[in-house]
Amino acid sequence: MSRRLPVIAALAAVFFLAPRVSLVGTLLAQGANGRVTGSVKLTLANSAPSSAATYERRSVGPRPKPQPELHNVVIFFSDLPATRRAPMKASIAQKDEQFVPHVVAVTVGSSVAFPNEDPFFHNVFSLSRGASFNLGRYPSGSSRSRVVTRPGIIKVFCEIHSHMSAVIRVFDHPWFTSPSDEGTFAIDDVPPGEHTLVAWHERIGERRDRVTIRPGASTTINFTLPVLEPGQ
Amino acid sequence: MSAPRLLTRALVTSFLTVAIVLGAVFAVLSLRVRDQVRQAVGDNLASAQQVFTRVEARRQQDMRASVATLAENPTLKAALDTWLTERGSANEQTSGELLATVQREADKIADRVSADVLAVADGDRRIVASGGRLAASWPRGVVIGVREDASTPSDRALAVGSGMYHVVSVPLQLGEAIVGSLELGTALDAHYARELADLSRGHAAILSKGTVLASTVSGPAARDLASYKAPDTGGAHTMVLAGETWAVQPLSQLGDVTFLALASIDAAAAAGQTQAALRSLAWVGLGAIALAVLGSVWLARTLTQPIDHLSQSLAAMTTGDRPRQAVALSGTSRELDQLTTTFNSLLATVAKAEAEAEATYLGAVRALAAALDARDPYTAGHSERVSRFAVAIGEEMKLDAESRETLRLGALLHDIGKIGVPDEVLRKADALTAEEFESIKAHPSAGARILKSIPFLAPHIPIVELHHERPDGLGYPYGLRGEDIPLAARIVHVADAFDAMTSARAYRSGRIPVEAIAELRRCVGTDFDGPTVDALIAVLPRLVAAGEPVEPMVVQWAQRARSA
Repeated sequence: MSRRLPVIAALAAVFFLAPRVSLVGTLLAQGANGRVTGSVKLTLANSAPSSAATYERRSVGPRPKPQPELHNVVIFFSDLPATRRAPMKASIAQKDEQFVPHVVAVTVGSSVAFPNEDPFFHNVFSLSRGASFNLGRYPSGSSRSRVVTRPGIIKVFCEIHSHMSAVIRVFDHPWFTSPSDEGTFAIDDVPPGEHTLVAWHERIGERRDRVTIRPGASTTINFTLPVLEPGQ
Repeated sequence: MSAPRLLTRALVTSFLTVAIVLGAVFAVLSLRVRDQVRQAVGDNLASAQQVFTRVEARRQQDMRASVATLAENPTLKAALDTWLTERGSANEQTSGELLATVQREADKIADRVSADVLAVADGDRRIVASGGRLAASWPRGVVIGVREDASTPSDRALAVGSGMYHVVSVPLQLGEAIVGSLELGTALDAHYARELADLSRGHAAILSKGTVLASTVSGPAARDLASYKAPDTGGAHTMVLAGETWAVQPLSQLGDVTFLALASIDAAAAAGQTQAALRSLAWVGLGAIALAVLGSVWLARTLTQPIDHLSQSLAAMTTGDRPRQAVALSGTSRELDQLTTTFNSLLATVAKAEAEAEATYLGAVRALAAALDARDPYTAGHSERVSRFAVAIGEEMKLDAESRETLRLGALLHDIGKIGVPDEVLRKADALTAEEFESIKAHPSAGARILKSIPFLAPHIPIVELHHERPDGLGYPYGLRGEDIPLAARIVHVADAFDAMTSARAYRSGRIPVEAIAELRRCVGTDFDGPTVDALIAVLPRLVAAGEPVEPMVVQWAQRARSA
């Protein structure tokens, strides 16, 4: 009983404070800061095939339902100063021998949970510099999580199923997002000035573009990425 | 120059025939053996090719399967993927650890597969880590070829560094994405060529664009190998390397690289079986020649012996020595037998003609002798009797048939010379004058002169001429002594004296045989030859028993002698 009290207190504080914070944010966005919107298009039309595509496709085990590649794209500002934000709670499920979603983007200090939704054991480990860890093997229905503390790219694997992988992008600022199913995105509350906006995909790396953010205004930018949709 | 003998001819003919047949067989066999060797070598290579194809396909399949399994290595994939993500931006230490992990996993996999070299490569096929026997040839950073199009098979011949390799690629996948590859290299070097050669039980060569990558062929033949050009028809064929004919069988083709199995036909033909076959043929040839020689000698002998016999008989006939008997049929060939038969009948005809001629002569001579005897009634039948006595003595003294025949005729003619003695002298009962006795003594020489004119009576001349010679040399005409007098003349002398003593003569009456024999015995050594007298005494009873026309008194005596 006594251990639950601080948690309840914290939840209550968030409940009361959050509306005010967001209200302030909205005011700020309409005032000093600007907004960037745009779209991401995946195409191979005018780009060379990536070398990885030269191999024939090979799958191990049941062929899982392909996830839209648009969800694996992360849009972020690469040259904005570190700005501390509240930690997030993200989740990467292990389902059909796949990490779903394949890519998540979180802020530093966030916790990422890995619930096992398959009827067999899974494992989660990483060799990445940002977070080298191994959560061990755990059975169906259980979940383990990991708090990410350093910005960067964390590659996550399953040592039981060698074809499973996931990517966690950790940022020390809040100006990042992923495109919607339609490929549109928007980042609000961006400090004005000329910045570098990056569209990142695991297989092609980063595509950079300079954008100028004007206070109270919205800037549009479109990305075309040479990424092949699964099944295409 | 005389014609060759039949034996020589037969020998030469059979020898030449056998030699030509053997030579032809030898030549044909050599060519055939060469063809068969070529065929056998070709078949051998073709089966080697099949074995190679099967073994190689199996090997590649096994290798790919095992590598595909090994490629599902979570540590390798995680380490490679993480290293690829972090390289460049990462700090040195973490990057080094990741690379060490990749290297460790590469070494582990290399231990488990049969490739010469194994590499872990990134998505651009740039080597990240390599392991295996030839790992040093595949250093980090080297790109393992670039694929031209998607239809190229995953195993190719590629130049990596300074060597040529048969490379099999297996992708390293993370979900749908491919993060890199495992590259397995088999070096197309002398080591591999030796393996191929073992498989094909001959030689092997690996060629690429007119250069020999590796081969087990050595010396000048290896240089000529570079000029190899695959024929349009494909399959097995032959080519000449350094003057030798080689059977060539393409094993497989990997891009520009051609794998060949080779075997020298000349070397195979020179070795083993062929020589053994030809050697045994040579033995057979020697045996055949020996048999041919023996056969022709035998054939020639069976032919030449009867022919020799015939020709000798013919020669004898022409020189006058009468052939005694018919030539026996040899039975070796019908033609020869026919010839022999013809010769024999010719011989018989000649013999008959001669016999007739002799009989005619003999008749004439007999008639002459009879006529002579008839001149004096006391000497009638004297020549016939002397002849029979002489023959009987000859038989007793074991003379041969020829001598007896001579004896018979000689005795018959012994007094032929008396033809020149006047009847008065012959028939005179009184004692002869010296002159008359001289004319009597001349009769042997006169007889000899008469006979000399008749060639076939020549053998009888000594009997006629010398039948009055005595062992003590007191005879006439020459006074010869003892053994100097021919036996035939001695016999006729005794027979003449015995018949003269036992028959009545103009000048005295005949004595009885006992007295005659006593007289003969008394005069042995002086007038008569001892053995001849003994023979006459021994033969007398037989003469009487045979009913010889001996004087009646002689018969009486003989009867008495038999009853005694």
